[in-house]
Amino acid sequence: MAVLKIENVSKIFQGGTTAVDDLSLEVSDGELVCLLGPSGSGKSTLLRMVGGFERPTQGKIFIDEADITDQWPERRPTAMVFQSHALWSHMNVFKNVAFGLRLRGLPAAEIRQNVEGVLEMVGLAGYGKRMIHQLSGGQQQRVALARSLVLEPKILLLDEPFASLDQHLRERLREEVRDIQQRLKITTLFVTHGQDEALSMADRIVVMRDGRTEQIGRPDAVYRKPLTPFVAGFIGTMNLVEGQVMRGAFTRAGIRVPLPVADGPATLAVRPEALDLIAAEPGQAQVHRITDFGTHGIVDLELSDGTRLKSMATQPNALRPGQGVDLVPRALTVYRESREIYRDVHD
Amino acid sequence: MAQAGSIVSPDEGNEKQPLGLLLVAIPVLLIVWLVIWPIISAVIDTLWRSDGHGHVGFDASSYVFFFTDTYSLNNLALTLWTTGICAALLLICCLPIALYLRFGRGRITGYVQTLAILPLFVPSIILAYAFIRVLGPNGFYDIVLHGLGLPKLRTPYLTPWGPVIGLVWDNIPLTVLILLSGLGSVKDQAVEAARDVGANRLQVLRHIIMPTISNSILVALSFAVLGIFSAFTLPYLLGPASPEMMGPFMQRTFDDVNDPVAAVTQAVISFAFCILFGLFYVRSVARNQGRQP
Amino acid sequence: MTAITATSQKAPISSLATIRTKADLAGITLAIILTLAVIVPLLVVALWAFSEVWRYPHLLPQQFGLRFWNQTLSRDDVWDALGLSLRLSTVVVAVAAVICLPASYAFSRMRFFGRDTLFLSFLAAHAFPKFGLLVTIAAIFLRLDLIGTFWGVALIQLVNILMFMIWIPVAAFQAIDKRMEEAARDVGAGPLRVFWSITLPQAAPTIIAALLLSFVTTFYETDGAWLIGAPEIRTTPVLMIGFINNEMVIQYGAVLSVLLWVPSAIALIFARRFIGGDAFARGFGG
Repeated sequence: MAVLKIENVSKIFQGGTTAVDDLSLEVSDGELVCLLGPSGSGKSTLLRMVGGFERPTQGKIFIDEADITDQWPERRPTAMVFQSHALWSHMNVFKNVAFGLRLRGLPAAEIRQNVEGVLEMVGLAGYGKRMIHQLSGGQQQRVALARSLVLEPKILLLDEPFASLDQHLRERLREEVRDIQQRLKITTLFVTHGQDEALSMADRIVVMRDGRTEQIGRPDAVYRKPLTPFVAGFIGTMNLVEGQVMRGAFTRAGIRVPLPVADGPATLAVRPEALDLIAAEPGQAQVHRITDFGTHGIVDLELSDGTRLKSMATQPNALRPGQGVDLVPRALTVYRESREIYRDVHD
Repeated sequence: MAQAGSIVSPDEGNEKQPLGLLLVAIPVLLIVWLVIWPIISAVIDTLWRSDGHGHVGFDASSYVFFFTDTYSLNNLALTLWTTGICAALLLICCLPIALYLRFGRGRITGYVQTLAILPLFVPSIILAYAFIRVLGPNGFYDIVLHGLGLPKLRTPYLTPWGPVIGLVWDNIPLTVLILLSGLGSVKDQAVEAARDVGANRLQVLRHIIMPTISNSILVALSFAVLGIFSAFTLPYLLGPASPEMMGPFMQRTFDDVNDPVAAVTQAVISFAFCILFGLFYVRSVARNQGRQP
Repeated sequence: MTAITATSQKAPISSLATIRTKADLAGITLAIILTLAVIVPLLVVALWAFSEVWRYPHLLPQQFGLRFWNQTLSRDDVWDALGLSLRLSTVVVAVAAVICLPASYAFSRMRFFGRDTLFLSFLAAHAFPKFGLLVTIAAIFLRLDLIGTFWGVALIQLVNILMFMIWIPVAAFQAIDKRMEEAARDVGAGPLRVFWSITLPQAAPTIIAALLLSFVTTFYETDGAWLIGAPEIRTTPVLMIGFINNEMVIQYGAVLSVLLWVPSAIALIFARRFIGGDAFARGFGG
């Protein structure tokens, strides 16, 4: 249906803050792309520029090859779901959803039909007469979604739509939104700072930091092959150990990992689930604490200089606190100056 | 219009927007024409006056007259006395009410609050009428005293105490409201902590509460002083004919004596006496405004 | 207003709970004093309005009745004054709404040169002793021949409520989530449509309260009406001054007071529900 193209877009606010810095991105037809990053990384600003609520200082934005950079939000074929819902509290549910259609001058019968259809799609059939304050947070968010979908936008924009909901509801809505998005095959840009959300929903993830893209890729790629220590640390749990490579081996406080890289400072990244432990006395590290989650356990480890690491163990009860262990990374990545210089993936 | 208005974020104000200026122009011009300009022109007109031969020059004679005229000085003295007494009484009456409303836990706080705010909704003209019916000669309290076999009240009606009582009554709600809003920033935990380390209620008041609300007290006093100094209706209806407060004095000079220059001179002198309170009031409102944009 | 916020803030203070009985004593004392000072005078006025004979030293009127209501309501000057006051308040509030609401919107949503200073300039009307200010305005009106005219009085009242009519709506507009307006733009509404369909309805309760407050304030304003208007322009309060000063029949004033006070009190209590504590406290610098 629609392709969104962002070309070398920058946004510099009046105070001189650079929110988005020369960013390019293409979202293909029917794709759901997540903008993921910590607060202040520019992801919301980027979304608001696509929606027309901020104007880029530089660069262009295209929808299906049409330049919309200077178009007012009401003229753009985009629809936004706001974090705060931004529902109009003086209108009931039906009127909230119908407002955009009424502006288009559709006949009343058609409006009714469309609104009822979309309310049913978001699971709110029969709620039309309710006032906004009579709805729960989750229902309000569904209304906001319906209000956007009813206009059949080319691009759907979601700005941390689940941030104000509790964990349980968030997971349910996440699935529902993903289902609807796939059913309608609507091109979607989704902003979140929650990695779970990004990993579970996105076709592709854009990890942002300081207004730039740190990595763009499929969720599994971003998770398994983080290109920078920032991405490695931001997505999932990651042990990041800074140390020195000397004579073909990474060393830090008793650990030694042979690596085929040049000497110099380096950051070693190992996922807890890729870090195996072998009991050894005195061992490279000491078990500090064991947390049993039932299906698996997390073992907190301490190196001799106090550095803490985590390991995921399927048999946590085989270990006890204070015991010495040797570390065996099954997969690891090595970074130098924020660039990947070596990757070893066994499995 | 709101290409500017609704969608441009506040950070984006670098675009010049004459439309905004245009929209606020009329009210602002009204303020300039009917507040700023009259005040400037009052000072100019009373100091640079025509000498009768078409020659305009510096002439402070109206001020000299005011400050040498016993009657004018008596009026000024009465005004200062009334303002001072009212300010003191207001504080004495309103601080306990505000403290009770903030910290009291009895079931009658709601009632006390309603009563303390009620005068805000009673126009001063009705207040004046009620005052006369209640505290005037043979008024209601006289009836009650008579019924109890007690001597009659020495009525404050048409004495300097008449306006004092009326003005205090009139100003209680705003003073209570301002003090309450100041007390809102006294944290419960601060009070609890102080009591925890052994402070009694008076010490809590002196060391914890008063320092926190001193600014609110000053604002409340400024507001009261600005309102009371040149009050007209209540002193005019309840006060003595001579000496009189600045409000009725100015009105009489302007309307009855038909001497605008003298009346404006009196107004400028009132401004001068209140300027500090006015500045303080503006400053604290402006600061408040800055705090919550 | 602030008082409303104060009640909600009132969390239990355990350390003071022990002296609850004492606090209640203080409350009862305050309640009695305030009742004597606030309720009794108003009740006495109400009694007077419905009494036909009340001679000293009887505690209550000897004869109740509506005779003086009939007499008061058959006076032409009362109807003239009421009509004039209603006309004056309506005109002033309407003009204020037309010029102030767009200005409030501009203050709350737009950026322009000197915005903050201009916004604070409305304080000027309240930063000087009021009657002194009125006299200096009167001196200007004297040259413009506005003394004793309807529009002279109207202008004075307009200045009087200008700050209300700017500051309260500004607070109302600022309280509206900007995203609501953006969402409306997003579904295709132009800026004017957004203002009309979203912003104004959202701000309506507060704005109506401000209008009501301004209306009542103007209706009862005495100082300016007396100085600028009297004797040609006789608003209701000006008439009331006459009743107090020169009228032998006490009940006329009482009837007029009751007649005027009850609806205004209802209106104002209604208004108070809608105006947030902030809007008020800010106007008073608290």
